[in-house]
Amino acid sequence: MKATLSRRIALAASLAAALALSQPALAQTKLRVFSGGQNQRPDLMRKLFDQYQKANPGITIEIETGGSTSELQRQYLSTVLNAKDPAIDIYLIDIVNPAQYYGAGWLEPLNAHLGDPATVLKGFLPVYAQSNVVDGKLAAMPGFADAMFMYYRRDLLEKHRIAEPRTWDELAAAAKKVMQAEGNPNLQGLSIQGAPIEGAVCTFLLPYWSQGKAFNDGSGKLTLDRPAAVKGLQQWLSLVDAGVVKKNVAEVKTGDTVNEFKAGQVIFGINWSWAWDRFADDADSQVKGKVGVMPLPAMAGGQSATCVGGWQWAVSAFSRHKGEAAKLVQFVTSRDASRFLAAEGALLPTYPDVYTDPAVVKAVPWVKDAANVVVAGRSRPMSKDYGQVSDVIRTTTSAVLARTKTPEAGVNEIGSRLQRVMR
Amino acid sequence: MAAPGLFERLRDPSEKTLGVLLLAPAFLLLALIVVYPIGKLVWNSFFDMRLSGGSGARFVGFENYVMVWQDPDFWNATGNTVLITLVTVPGALVVGLGLAVLANLPFKRQWPVRLALLLPWALPLAFAGLIFAWFFHTEYGVVNDVLRRLGLMDARDPAMWLLQPGWGFAAICLTIIWKTSSFMALILLAGLQMIPRSLYEAAEVDGASRWQQFWQITIPMLMPSIVVALIFRTITALQTFDIPYTMTKGGPGNATETLAMLIHKNTIEYLDMGYGSTMAVFMFGLSLAVTAVYLRHMARSAA
Repeated sequence: MKATLSRRIALAASLAAALALSQPALAQTKLRVFSGGQNQRPDLMRKLFDQYQKANPGITIEIETGGSTSELQRQYLSTVLNAKDPAIDIYLIDIVNPAQYYGAGWLEPLNAHLGDPATVLKGFLPVYAQSNVVDGKLAAMPGFADAMFMYYRRDLLEKHRIAEPRTWDELAAAAKKVMQAEGNPNLQGLSIQGAPIEGAVCTFLLPYWSQGKAFNDGSGKLTLDRPAAVKGLQQWLSLVDAGVVKKNVAEVKTGDTVNEFKAGQVIFGINWSWAWDRFADDADSQVKGKVGVMPLPAMAGGQSATCVGGWQWAVSAFSRHKGEAAKLVQFVTSRDASRFLAAEGALLPTYPDVYTDPAVVKAVPWVKDAANVVVAGRSRPMSKDYGQVSDVIRTTTSAVLARTKTPEAGVNEIGSRLQRVMR
Repeated sequence: MAAPGLFERLRDPSEKTLGVLLLAPAFLLLALIVVYPIGKLVWNSFFDMRLSGGSGARFVGFENYVMVWQDPDFWNATGNTVLITLVTVPGALVVGLGLAVLANLPFKRQWPVRLALLLPWALPLAFAGLIFAWFFHTEYGVVNDVLRRLGLMDARDPAMWLLQPGWGFAAICLTIIWKTSSFMALILLAGLQMIPRSLYEAAEVDGASRWQQFWQITIPMLMPSIVVALIFRTITALQTFDIPYTMTKGGPGNATETLAMLIHKNTIEYLDMGYGSTMAVFMFGLSLAVTAVYLRHMARSAA
């Protein structure tokens, strides 16, 4: 009796020991991911991460979501990373940020983990390959693409027999014609973002670029053509005066344009690519099947230009699991992941060949047209001080649109403030 | 006889040693959470600490101070902050005093009054800012809706409250007064309840009117509470951040930007820690000066 008991104890002890020994093999590495706001589709990211967890049993992935705008997310990450907090392992950043995060030492260059940037980024769209390399280092990996699109009410333009406008003046004429004919006092001609948010940087650049001007040279030095910038801002103000853009444009944020367009109150709307999914899929969308996409109009005598956006995955410099984190980044930026995000959520691919992938085209037919827009898009100035560059442009643009500053005064302010920063 | 050992002294401490020992934990805690951060802030203000450069901190002496002194943005923000303080502190005092007197009336049920007093105070500042930003929104705001229904505003030409520097400023001040007068009222209500009833009874016997009672008894007796409330309110007014940040983001342009917002912008957005720290040192000095003025006043009136 006594012997059996002690044998049992011995057995239990050896089992416990065996369990303890096997523990390291089962040890879970927890990776915490900051996946941006709701527009960056954490729901789809979760599906991707579930796949990854299944294939890599040692890894568990937690998602943390942030504010809805690029600058809110940047402020949040600045606070976390400035405190050297190891809580977040990988994070999603806007295309304008890799240089800034690299400069601040917040991200782990991926050369040692994934290889030489030229090789790693070979299959990607050139604009993303360029903006993720800083000083020869692979700062981040392109997750998905984005650009400012001109959405329009195809049904209304067809009904009133109006062709897609090619210049801003043509757009104003087209919008006025539709507004008069429809007689709906809530119908806006054109919706742009004038609140002091990241989108207002593009609002400033679009008419400026479309005169064939550059904001900065290859080295990041400011090349502001002040008369052209003034002309660009005046273009917006004249659209407000004509009643095409609403008067309180300096209050309009990205989501306002989307919601008002969705409610059928906007003829032309400039917004990011994720808006397409909202127009086409949201239950409360009044414009299902009525939306077209066209190249952005140009200034008279200029050429169409748009603002490229997009989201990049970076590994935190303070992560305790950099190797595992880099592997996860490699997975979420793979061609397969890109295909999945495009087909499921219309998040635009960063690989040119995915735009023509039959399965993707079948799920989201408009990606074929989107390819041209993204490829022809231009990127906002890459700067280690992008936070300041963005703040100066968006605050001043918003003040000009609120008419508390003249376009001349606004452009002079942008010029003199950025001269020191972008040199 | 040999001096008593450490252990002996601890077992039977003199009055002075005991005092030091008992104060030590509180002092250490304060040093950790007050002295260290302020010291670090002042220390940082002497360095060029731009994170975007990636080159590490560089000692620059008083260079940041000279730059801040010559920075028009700094003076704009300081001006806005002082103006907000000058408008909202007296504003909240007057409204708060009214609320406190109301709440001190002999209601049958006290709790609904007290609850109404507490609610704005319990609301986070940022929520208050967001709520009022909605009120003043050009298209969706209740303010314009009311004006429209009263026929005071053309529906096709709505007022853009938060997009005009003057009106934006006024809207921010109104929100701050709404938000902070309940705190004022709470402190003043406590003060009111400490005034003995007998004073009023005596005044009544002497034939003093209600108005005379208010000015001759209530206000003088309430003075210590008023000063305390003013000190707290002034210091928080100098640090105003949440409400303008959520209502206008300092806009249009930087017309409603406060000092705290400018510091936040320089450190969190521009990642210029040294420069932001220098501005924070200026703000600290401003708060200190205001507190000193009040405390002197209190000491003098106590003497």
